[in-house]
Amino acid sequence: MSAGISLLKRTAVEANTIFQRLDGRVKFLYFIWATVLVYIFYDPYLTLAFLIVTLAMAAYAKVFKPIAMTLLIIIVPWIILGVLILALPFGFPWNKTVIGYINVLGYRLPVYLEGLGWGITWPLRISVAISSALFFYLTTNQAKLVATLFKMKVPFKAIYMIIATFQFIPLLFDEANTIIQAQISRGLKTDVGVLQRIKNYLAVVIPLTISALNKVQTRAITLESRGFSAPVKKTFLYEARLTAADWAFLGIMAAVTVFLAWVYVTIGYSPVAHLQWIWA
Amino acid sequence: MSEPIIKVERLAYSYPRKELVLYDINFEVNKGEVLGIIGPNGAGKSTLCKALNGLVPHFYGGKYGGRVVVAGMEVLEHTVAELSTKVGIVFQDPEEQMSGLALTVWEEVAFGLMMLGFPKEEIVRRVDEAIKQVGLEGFEKRSPFELSGGQQQRLAIATVLAVKPDVLVLDEPTAQLDPIGKFEVFSVIKRLAAEGSTIVVVEHEIEELATFADNILLLDQGRVKAYGPARDVLTQVEKLKSLGVDPPSVTELTYLLNKELGANLEVPITLDEAIKIYAEALGVS
Repeated sequence: MSAGISLLKRTAVEANTIFQRLDGRVKFLYFIWATVLVYIFYDPYLTLAFLIVTLAMAAYAKVFKPIAMTLLIIIVPWIILGVLILALPFGFPWNKTVIGYINVLGYRLPVYLEGLGWGITWPLRISVAISSALFFYLTTNQAKLVATLFKMKVPFKAIYMIIATFQFIPLLFDEANTIIQAQISRGLKTDVGVLQRIKNYLAVVIPLTISALNKVQTRAITLESRGFSAPVKKTFLYEARLTAADWAFLGIMAAVTVFLAWVYVTIGYSPVAHLQWIWA
Repeated sequence: MSEPIIKVERLAYSYPRKELVLYDINFEVNKGEVLGIIGPNGAGKSTLCKALNGLVPHFYGGKYGGRVVVAGMEVLEHTVAELSTKVGIVFQDPEEQMSGLALTVWEEVAFGLMMLGFPKEEIVRRVDEAIKQVGLEGFEKRSPFELSGGQQQRLAIATVLAVKPDVLVLDEPTAQLDPIGKFEVFSVIKRLAAEGSTIVVVEHEIEELATFADNILLLDQGRVKAYGPARDVLTQVEKLKSLGVDPPSVTELTYLLNKELGANLEVPITLDEAIKIYAEALGVS
């Protein structure tokens, strides 16, 4: 099972650190706040600092492993590919400052600062967004998550769609595996060329779609039978409300925002690496 | 005689743009009674179950005739959500009945009560009670998806019991379970029946059904072929066989002994009854 799927299979047993106890809205705000800030600045060091802080909080909250696995799978290849494409002389107009040379297959190629900076900063920004979003998702108990989203005025049907999707994706993968095995047992060949392989997907996708639609209908029937559409005020077992820890966390975020606003005004958008905007 | 809690009168139904699947269905279920519904595949058993909580016709649409009244509520005049406090329904596939919002068994049982807006204290009380009723104590913090099939189906029953409906409808609750799962679920159903719950159950395991059903309704191609006390229906061996429904083995054996060998034995419908009858016939205690 891939990390992405195992990530979705959250277990009910969760750690109980200060980060799990923080209100879901505060953690959601952190995700938005960190993402916006790393996009405002263009500095790999500053972005890395945000990533380290987020991962440190994740480690303390005992959810480091799934986040790190996701970053390894998504971001590391992205950085390697991004740096190779952007920093080498492929004719990008922003590449002006040569910082060294590398030998590739006997060719001496220049490495450009602008491309290198962009190739690292861009995936790192995504890392901050992914890790802070996962930090919010993985440290917020599902009942609290539902209550949080409801308090944020998200319609209950939309909340259901968001939360249930996460739970049903692993089930859909199990179903796809069963269908693949069934089709292979009936003679579906897997050691074939790309075109035939694409055709083979139809043999899996069509039954999977039909099965998924049937499941959705059964689920809808079940939910309906259990009062999902009852025109009453739903009861939530958890009340979303801010505590002293939440206010302290918000206070730290506000202080950092003020500090970074001062940095932006006085030093600029790349305070540590002093990079130039690549399209400038 | 008590007022029937379920009253079905001249019910006829067809899904949109389809032929009729139920024709002129009539039956009643009294409080505390267990009605077993049997019949071959495609007889209309599941559709009939869905007609009891209003999914037919509110969810599916289609043509509908006749009347279904449950706990004093005419199904046609109330929404499925309103009827959900009167009729609790459990389907075949336990996994497909999970809400998708609950991470634990406890939360899954609480889901229906939350949707219906019950007060928190009441939810806590009812969830604990329902979990106990189906014997899932100790599993409260487990993920519903980590349970075995039998445990999941018992959880599905608990989710319904927590709402305390007047009628429990079970649509082939053991169809997808292994022998241990079937045993677990039947144990719960038998206990609920013994405690006086009103139950309508569709079941192919006729041997088991015979041990707790008060009445049986035999459906075939959307029509009632037999309806009455379990013994009266299950001893109609020829009729059951002609419709592709196997009567209990002991019933069929005794029927054949009477018919082929001229034995004059009382026809049992359960193994316990058979042991008693054969012991008497053989002169052993």
